[in-house]
Amino acid sequence: MTNAPKYKILVVDDELTVCKSIRQALLREDYEVDMALSGEEALRKEAERHYDVMIVDLMMPGLSGMDLLKSLKAQNPDSKIIMVTGYPTMKNTIQAMQLGAFDFLPKPFLPSDLRGVVARALAEEKEPAAG
Amino acid sequence: MPRRGLVRRFVDFPLRRKLLLSFLAVIAFGGVITLIVGTRLEHRTIIDLAQAKVRHDLASAWMMYHERLNAIADVVRLSAAREFLEDALRTGRRDGLALKLDLIRQEYGLDVLTLTDGRGRVVVRSRRPETSGDDQSGDPFVERALAGQTVAGTQIVSGKELLKEGPDLFERAYFAFIPTPKAAERAGDHEENGMMLKAAAPVAGDEGGPYLGVLYGGILFNRNYELVDRIKEIVFKGEKYKGHDIGTATIFQGDLRISTNVLDDRENRAVGTRVSREVDEAVLRNGRSYIGRAFVVTAWYITAYEPIRDIDGRIVGMLYVGMLERPYIDLRNRVMATFAGLAGLCTLGLLGLLTIIARQITRPLAAMVEATDKIAQGDLSHRVEILQGDEIGQLAGSFNRMTDELSLAHKDLTEWGRTLERRVEERTRELRETEEQLIISEKLASLGKMAAGVAHEINNPLTSILINAHLLLERPGENEEDKETLTLIADETTRCATIVKGLLDFARQTPSKAAPTNINDIVDRTLQLLEKQAAVRNIRIERNLDRSLPPIEVDENKIQQVFSNLAINACEAMPEGGALVVSSRLSRDGTHIEIVFTDTGAGIPRENIPKLFDPFFTTKSFGTGLGLAVSYGIVRQRGGTILVRSEVGRGSVFTVRIPLAEPREERRAEETP
Repeated sequence: MTNAPKYKILVVDDELTVCKSIRQALLREDYEVDMALSGEEALRKEAERHYDVMIVDLMMPGLSGMDLLKSLKAQNPDSKIIMVTGYPTMKNTIQAMQLGAFDFLPKPFLPSDLRGVVARALAEEKEPAAG
Repeated sequence: MPRRGLVRRFVDFPLRRKLLLSFLAVIAFGGVITLIVGTRLEHRTIIDLAQAKVRHDLASAWMMYHERLNAIADVVRLSAAREFLEDALRTGRRDGLALKLDLIRQEYGLDVLTLTDGRGRVVVRSRRPETSGDDQSGDPFVERALAGQTVAGTQIVSGKELLKEGPDLFERAYFAFIPTPKAAERAGDHEENGMMLKAAAPVAGDEGGPYLGVLYGGILFNRNYELVDRIKEIVFKGEKYKGHDIGTATIFQGDLRISTNVLDDRENRAVGTRVSREVDEAVLRNGRSYIGRAFVVTAWYITAYEPIRDIDGRIVGMLYVGMLERPYIDLRNRVMATFAGLAGLCTLGLLGLLTIIARQITRPLAAMVEATDKIAQGDLSHRVEILQGDEIGQLAGSFNRMTDELSLAHKDLTEWGRTLERRVEERTRELRETEEQLIISEKLASLGKMAAGVAHEINNPLTSILINAHLLLERPGENEEDKETLTLIADETTRCATIVKGLLDFARQTPSKAAPTNINDIVDRTLQLLEKQAAVRNIRIERNLDRSLPPIEVDENKIQQVFSNLAINACEAMPEGGALVVSSRLSRDGTHIEIVFTDTGAGIPRENIPKLFDPFFTTKSFGTGLGLAVSYGIVRQRGGTILVRSEVGRGSVFTVRIPLAEPREERRAEETP
């Protein structure tokens, strides 16, 4: 396990507690989890290193989740981005999916839900690498 | 002014009386004119006829007069030719002569038959043989006969001569004048001359020699009624009228009636009376005939007079015929009476006819008047029944049409007024409802906005709590007590999440995806999901659905959510079991579909009913209190409403009313946070 490279995951949420909670939930699965408290920070971090999966809160001050999604997808269309929000609407959901989000997860969610979605994203992420 | 009053009164008369009066005036005018002209004409005609007849009768009388004269002339001439006369005159033998002559005289009805010698001396008077020898040569008849002529004519004979011929003749001729009112003035008081119809013929001697003598004879008219009575008999055929002879004839000697069958007031022949001055003037003095109306002795006659002349052409008397005017007047009166009677009958008939015509004309008008009165009093159903095709009929038709329009307009107006009232009521109610609705809507809208913000803010901490609680639970080796506590935290967090989700659902009001749907299908589907659960709880579910309802445009999922909310609430209101009746129907005015949920549950206290649809209002220990609020929002969005009727202890009735037509203005765009 140690020698295998760890998947890198970035959690983007303007609330530190939420970021931490999500990070804790994912750490159990032996992922490498970074946090960003704003869209701008997320862009910087993504520029430093590549993340296999990014979990982005939709509603953030400054660069919004949706804008971030657009930028990330513009940089790398293959990036796996999971959108989360405390106020899920049909419109947001559809927009996000159209912009290329991997999935859309309404808050609050159970750790198991989150892990499942991330696992699916990673499974898909592996395929093109393998292929 | 009185005339104006009269005219005004005529103007104010009822039409029928006016018509009748007008007709009557025309008839009366025409009738009077006809009567006057008719009378005149009739009178003229009858009188003319009578006068023509009397003129004709006078001619007949003259014929008989001359006939008589001719007869005398014949007797005298033929007798003069007898041999015994010649013998007697030649020989002077007179025996038996007077007797023979007298026989002849009597046989032929003569009053006088006298023989003279060649010098005109009387040889023998058959009537009075004892007087003879007087000279008659001065007599114009004798004179002419001696000259060889046979003459006949009328002659005035003096009383002296009459006395010679016979005293009885003198007596017959003598008249004391009977005073006659209209007669002309005349000297003397009596008449002793007589008037004779006389003829004379010579008694011839040798051929060419002087005449031996003259035979003359005649009849005295005075008081001799033979001729006048014959005229009456033959010309007038003795006709009588009311006991009076119609026709009369008279011979006048001068102006004196000497032979007549005109009777005086004592029924005696009116001899001795005299003719009227008028006739005297015309006939005796001027020698003209007189034809015309004349008052004869006692009565009016239609008369004709003509002068009688002697052989020298002098006027010596008159021949008169006359007819009683009375029969003609009576005839005229009868004709007039008949005429007037007929005219009267005609007038009566016309009047009758006119009354009918006037009624015919005025009755429909009266009906119209009655109709207008009735309509004026508000009876708009009244109609004039006039079938005739004239102007009045047309008027009635127009009138009826007008009334129809009027009653239609009236009905419309009443209807409209009623509709207006109803509408005002409806509007007022709707407004009140809308107002309430607005309050609710505003409350809900602000709540929705708040909910969105709150939900977002709460979901973040809930996420943290939920994740961390689960992370702790996932940690191995935790003691059971801690695990229980953590589970409680996780569950309650989940419950919070559910509440927030409900709040978001309520606030979100996602747009409808309306499609034509049979509302009963939704009810069926909803109840199917519940039935098993209900059966377990001892709740009977009944359907009473109107399967003929038309499909309506609704969002199936949302409506199902509403029904299921109401059905679940109903079931939860009946913990001891009961019945839920779900019925569907068309509203009474046909504009809405109504789905009614009737339960036999606990019921809702009156004071709670206004709060039922408030978000978070709940009486249950579980649930979010959003169910009815969300349901109400959904129905409201579709333009409908939810009505509640409830009685504690008996149950509740929830009625969902959805309009058949989808509201246009209330299709809200999707809400964005």
